[in-house]
Amino acid sequence: MYDPIQDRASFVGSSDLPKRGTRRLTVDGEPSQLGDTPHGLVDLERRDRIRTLGITAVVAVGFIAWALTQMSLLTFFTQILNGLSFGAILFFLAAGFTMIFGVLRIANLAHGGFYLLGGYVGITITLSTGQFWIGIVAGGLAVMVLGLFTERVMLRRIRGMEKPEVLLTIGLTFVIGDLSLWGWGGDPRVVAKPSYLKGPFQIGDSFFYPKYRIFVLGLAIILAAILIYIDRRTKIGAIVRAGVDDRETIAALGVNIKAVFTAAFMFGSFIAGMSGVIGAGFLALLPGQDFEILLFALVVVIIGGLGSLEGAVLGAALVGLIDSFAKALLPELSFFTLFAPMAIILMVRPNGLLGKAT
Amino acid sequence: MTTLRNLSLTTKVKLGLLLAAVTASVILPYLVDTFILRLLTLALVSSLFAMSVDLMAGYTGLVTLGHAGVLGTAMYGVGYVASKTEGGIGTQILVGFVAGMAAATIFGLMAMRSTGVYFIMITIAQGMIVWGLASLLVDITGAENGLLGIRRPVSVESDFRYYYVVLATMLACSAALYVIVHSPFGYALKGLRGSETRLRMLGHNSAFLKFYMFLVSGFFATVAGILLVYLNEFVSPSDVILGASALPVLMSILGGIGTLVGPVIGAFVIVFLRNWVSLQVDRWPTIMGLIFILVVLFAPEGLVGALKSWWYRRISETGTTKNPTLQDHEMTEAVHTGSQALDSD
Repeated sequence: MYDPIQDRASFVGSSDLPKRGTRRLTVDGEPSQLGDTPHGLVDLERRDRIRTLGITAVVAVGFIAWALTQMSLLTFFTQILNGLSFGAILFFLAAGFTMIFGVLRIANLAHGGFYLLGGYVGITITLSTGQFWIGIVAGGLAVMVLGLFTERVMLRRIRGMEKPEVLLTIGLTFVIGDLSLWGWGGDPRVVAKPSYLKGPFQIGDSFFYPKYRIFVLGLAIILAAILIYIDRRTKIGAIVRAGVDDRETIAALGVNIKAVFTAAFMFGSFIAGMSGVIGAGFLALLPGQDFEILLFALVVVIIGGLGSLEGAVLGAALVGLIDSFAKALLPELSFFTLFAPMAIILMVRPNGLLGKAT
Repeated sequence: MTTLRNLSLTTKVKLGLLLAAVTASVILPYLVDTFILRLLTLALVSSLFAMSVDLMAGYTGLVTLGHAGVLGTAMYGVGYVASKTEGGIGTQILVGFVAGMAAATIFGLMAMRSTGVYFIMITIAQGMIVWGLASLLVDITGAENGLLGIRRPVSVESDFRYYYVVLATMLACSAALYVIVHSPFGYALKGLRGSETRLRMLGHNSAFLKFYMFLVSGFFATVAGILLVYLNEFVSPSDVILGASALPVLMSILGGIGTLVGPVIGAFVIVFLRNWVSLQVDRWPTIMGLIFILVVLFAPEGLVGALKSWWYRRISETGTTKNPTLQDHEMTEAVHTGSQALDSD
C-alpha cells in the first residue's frame, strides 16, 4: 500500500537506511534520500508503474473475454500458444537489444539484420552438418564475430554520440540485408528440424499443437529465468546493472568498462543470431524480414521499457499475443493493432511499462 | 542599411553561389535529355523531403527514421482519389494534403513526449506501420500492385513543364524554411537540440514544440509527397519502406546536417549516385549502407562542413575576415549533439 506519510518521512531524510525500492543519490556531494526522478520519490515512480500494470491487466482481461466470444476454446488456446511462441522469438531479440542498450546506450538497429544473417548461416550449417544444434550455435557465433567487429572497429570511434551510433547501425542493416539477399537469394528459407521436434504434440483427445513451437517457448522461458537470475544474483549482473546506472563510477571502481561493453555487445549479437536460426524453424526467413522483425523488437522494448529485462519479457508476451489474436480476428488491420496499444502506452508512460524515467 | 557593398566576403560568395545554382537549375532543362531531366526533378523533390527531415534531424536534433510515412500517406491520398474515385486534380491534392498532415499530426502526438533514442525508435515504428498498412489494406492501397492511374494535370503533363512546377515549389518552400529556421520558432528548435532540460527551465513547453515541429516538417514532407506522386504517377509500398525514410537522413548527413543547403547537395549527390550505381551493379542498398557508415565515421559534418572549413581556412590565411570559429562551432554541434544530450540528462 502506498503511504504518503512514509513518503514524506523519507523525503525529509529519516536516519534509517532507505527501504527497498528507494535509492541513495548524491546531490551536490551530500548523501540524500531524494529520488532520482523529476516527479519526486522512487516510491511514487513505483506506484505509478504498478498502476499502469494494473490498467494493462484489466484491458488484457477485457480483450481476452471479448476474444473468447469470437472463437472456440480450442482455437483460443491455439492462438495463445501461437502468440506466446512468437513472443518467445521476440523475447530473444528484445533481450539482446535491451542488454546492448542498457550497457552501451546504443539502440542497435542492426539487430534485425543480425537475426536474418544468423538464421541464414544456421540454415546453411545445419544443411551441411545435419545437426540442428550446431546450426544454432554457428548462427550465434557468426553474428557474435560480426558484433565484435562492429563494436571494436566502428562503434568505438563514435562512442557516446547517440545519433551517429544509431545511424551507423541502420547503415549496417542495409549492408547485411542486401548482402544476405545476394548470398542466399530471395526465396523463403526454413531450417531443417531434428525429427524429435517435428510433428504435433497431443494434449487430451482433441488438442494438437506443433512440438517445435512448444520447444521454442520452453527455451525462451529457460533463457529468461537464467538471464534474470544472472542479472539479479550474480557479480556479472551487478556489474551490468551498475554500468547501466553509472558508467563513470563503475569504471573508477576498477572494472574494465570497455571489456564489459564489448562483452555485452557480443552477447546481444549472439542471442540475435541464435534466435534467427530458432525462428527459422517456424517463421521462414526471407529478404525484408530483418526490418519486420526489427519493428516487432522495437515495439516490444518501447512497450516494455528500454533497458529492462522484465520489460522485455512482458512486452514480448504482450506483442506476441496481440499479433496472434489480431491476425486471427482482424487480419487486414494486424499492423494497426500493434500500433494502437503502443500509442496508448506511450501517451501514458513515455518510457514504457517497466522503463525508468530518464 | 545593408547594401551589397558592406556584406562580408563569405556572404557575397554564398549569394553568388545561390544565384548561380538557381540560374543553372532554370537553364539546365534546355541542355539535357528527358532521362536526366527526370533525375533532376527527382533530386529537387528529394531535396525538399530531405530539408523537411533535416528540420527535425539537424535543427532540432531529433532524428526521424519514419518520415516516409508522412510523404507516403500524402502520396497514397492523391493516388487513392486518382485511381479509385472520379475526383479531379483539386480533390486529389486536397485529399493528399489532408492525409499527409493527418499522419504528421498522429506521429507528432505519439512522439512528442519522447527524446533521443526513444524518439528514433518510435519514428521507425511509425514509418513501418504505414508500410504495413500499405501492404495489407488491399482495397485502399492495392498492396504490392500499388495504385495506378495517377495523371498530372494536362497543362503540366510534359516532363519539361513539370520540372518547372517542382522547381518553383521547391524554391518557395526553401525560402519558407529559411524564414522558419531564422524565426523565434526556429531558434527554439535549436534550443531543443542544445538542451531540452534548459529549454524547459526557460518556460518552453518542449512537447508542444516537438509537436509543432512535426506539423511544420510534415507540411513540407506532404508537399514533397504530392510532387513525388505526380512525378512517378505511381505509388506502392516500396515508397514507404524503411529505406525510403533513411534516404533523406543520409542525404542530410552527407550534405551537412543542420543546414538548409546540405540536404539539397546531399539529395543531388545521392540521386545521381544511385542512378549510376544501379547501372553498374544491383547492390544499391549495400552502397547506401556503406555511405551511411563511412559518412558517420569519417565525415560527420558532411560536404558542406568540409567545404566551409576549407573556405574559412583559406580566407583566414589571406586575412580578410575575423575568426569564423562560431559558425564552425554551430556545425560541429549539430553533428555531436548526441554526446551533449548524454551529458545534460
